[in-house]
Amino acid sequence: METIKLRKITSLWIITVLFLFIVNIVLGIIMRLNQGEILHEQPATFYAHMTTHGLTQIGIWFVAGMTGINYLMERYLKTSYLANVVAMVLTVTGILMLWTSTYIGNFHAGWTFLYPLPLKIMWAKWATPLFLGSILVMGVGWLTWSVSMMTQILKKYPLTKALAWQHFRKNPTIQTPPFILISMITLIGIITCLLGAVLLLAMYAAEYFSNGAFVNDALLMKNLTYFFGHTIANEMLYLGLAVIYELFPEVGGRPKWKATWYVALAWNCTLVFILTAFFHHLYMDFVQPVGFQIVGQIASYMASLPAAGVTVFSVLVAVYRTSIKWSLTNLLFFIGVAGWVIGGLGAVIDVTITNNFVLHNTLWVPAHFHTYNALGNVLFSLAFFHWFSIQFSEKTDFEKLTKLKLTLLLIGGIGFLLAFYIGGAESMPRRYSNYPAEFPMAAPLAIGAAVFATIYLAAILIFFFQISKRCLNILFSSSSH
Amino acid sequence: MQNSILILFLVLAGMSALVFTFVYLSSKKAGKDEQGIPNPLKTRFWFLLILFVILGIFASVTIPRSPYFLFADETPVRVIHVSAMQFAFLMSDKAIDPKNPVGEASIELPANKLVEFRVTSLDVNHGFAIYDQSNRLIAQTQAMPGYVNRLRWKFKEPGNYTILCLEYCGMAHQVMRASLTIK
Repeated sequence: METIKLRKITSLWIITVLFLFIVNIVLGIIMRLNQGEILHEQPATFYAHMTTHGLTQIGIWFVAGMTGINYLMERYLKTSYLANVVAMVLTVTGILMLWTSTYIGNFHAGWTFLYPLPLKIMWAKWATPLFLGSILVMGVGWLTWSVSMMTQILKKYPLTKALAWQHFRKNPTIQTPPFILISMITLIGIITCLLGAVLLLAMYAAEYFSNGAFVNDALLMKNLTYFFGHTIANEMLYLGLAVIYELFPEVGGRPKWKATWYVALAWNCTLVFILTAFFHHLYMDFVQPVGFQIVGQIASYMASLPAAGVTVFSVLVAVYRTSIKWSLTNLLFFIGVAGWVIGGLGAVIDVTITNNFVLHNTLWVPAHFHTYNALGNVLFSLAFFHWFSIQFSEKTDFEKLTKLKLTLLLIGGIGFLLAFYIGGAESMPRRYSNYPAEFPMAAPLAIGAAVFATIYLAAILIFFFQISKRCLNILFSSSSH
Repeated sequence: MQNSILILFLVLAGMSALVFTFVYLSSKKAGKDEQGIPNPLKTRFWFLLILFVILGIFASVTIPRSPYFLFADETPVRVIHVSAMQFAFLMSDKAIDPKNPVGEASIELPANKLVEFRVTSLDVNHGFAIYDQSNRLIAQTQAMPGYVNRLRWKFKEPGNYTILCLEYCGMAHQVMRASLTIK
């Protein structure tokens, strides 16, 4: 069972994530208000917000998934508290370095920092190494945690068992819990893409310190950037899914989900697809070998099969005509899965090369990834945060304001996202601080999006106050309960 | 095309939302002894097979129409060299010298004839996106330093077309633009 120290650090993670999420939503609203011509910021300031917003968001929802995995993993095996602390210290340090580089150094190359933009200095000279250093520091923290977690899993489950390969045979003698299987698959993906980030940063450093003697290859750097960026942004979602597999049936009073041959097959295939789907970010680079482009579309399509056929289907089967016990926790999981599916539909449309030809880098892109994050992954983590925070509370009014919170989340989220989808269909470019006269609808849409995002923010604020209050009690409690 | 994509998405999203709502409501009405779908494995198999077939059809129809294969067997009547740089596009019928980059003041191209754009960048990554007269994105490629992307296109309608940068390239990204005249 988990220790008091783990409860406390989990509480600290949750408060940190929710606080940073609120700040980050405010940054998003500021950006939309600027595009709506309500605010009038310098373009460089807008792009500094954009850089901060993107990378902070990836960071906090990645560690939110990590927090859930770490806490629940103690049901199966002992995890390293030290690795958890190292990840916490380095994540917070990395975020502070990032914010210093963007708001004091004015670094604004975007969270994808596409080579060679960070090296074309349009900001304080020190901001580029500080920004790249912030990714290194966060990456080292996450790598430490991931390697530690994987080591602990492998101490109890040999690799083939952790990957549930014995389920491909009839009547396996050992059952691999789905939570272990998904965690293992996700950890392999995370470690692989973080090693890609190490290589990317090493190549940046080589050029930065070579005084012009060494120049990187832009196509290779772009492939590495998206191998890291796309994969980490998706793996954070899979961390949330592992939590669903563990908690959704339990909270609903349904039988615990077991690994079967098709669950094992689906998740092992997911690992392959998730590591090759990133090619779809380079569709518009026609010099990329065509084979990679086709692999990008097929892998992206195939990635949706195990997700829909196993995870989504299992959630629907667990609910359809069953006397499942509903609570805020599994309502959030359920709605989150719906949001993930709808965001996935937007993504499948975008990864079709012929569609991408007219959608790439329009507002369609933030539309779909905000859908499976703001109405998917965020809800998975909120469900875990809520569930965790009520475990050690004596009060019983845990479901207070449930209808209000969910209504605000849905109205705010759907309205905010629709503005992106309509903008994408109207060919509006993404990452524009202001829109030219060709797009007269861009400003009204941005204002509408800001209003709906504020409604979404109101829901998150209620979650923040309720969950943080209970987490603070856990943090400062001296008793074991 | 984009409007059809939006309608397709909204229909699929609406159907998904209905399925989730229906499943949720079914659990509200369920008695204590109800155990859901009698044979979920069989239903799962059919669901996956249908999904696989749909995606397979989509892939086999769309991949051959990818921009890499557009007009591949034809010879372009004009070749336009494009060099993108922070924060402008240089375009010329002749190859552009990166050491002394100069573009032409205006570019006129014929309607309904194949044109090839050879797009590169002199500094960072940019996007080369062509918008028609109703400001709809009709074709694009990336401008990458050290590489030349070849975009082949036939303009159907005469008129003025706008080029916008669609890859974030720095603080004046949003004003990076050019135009083409099709006659």
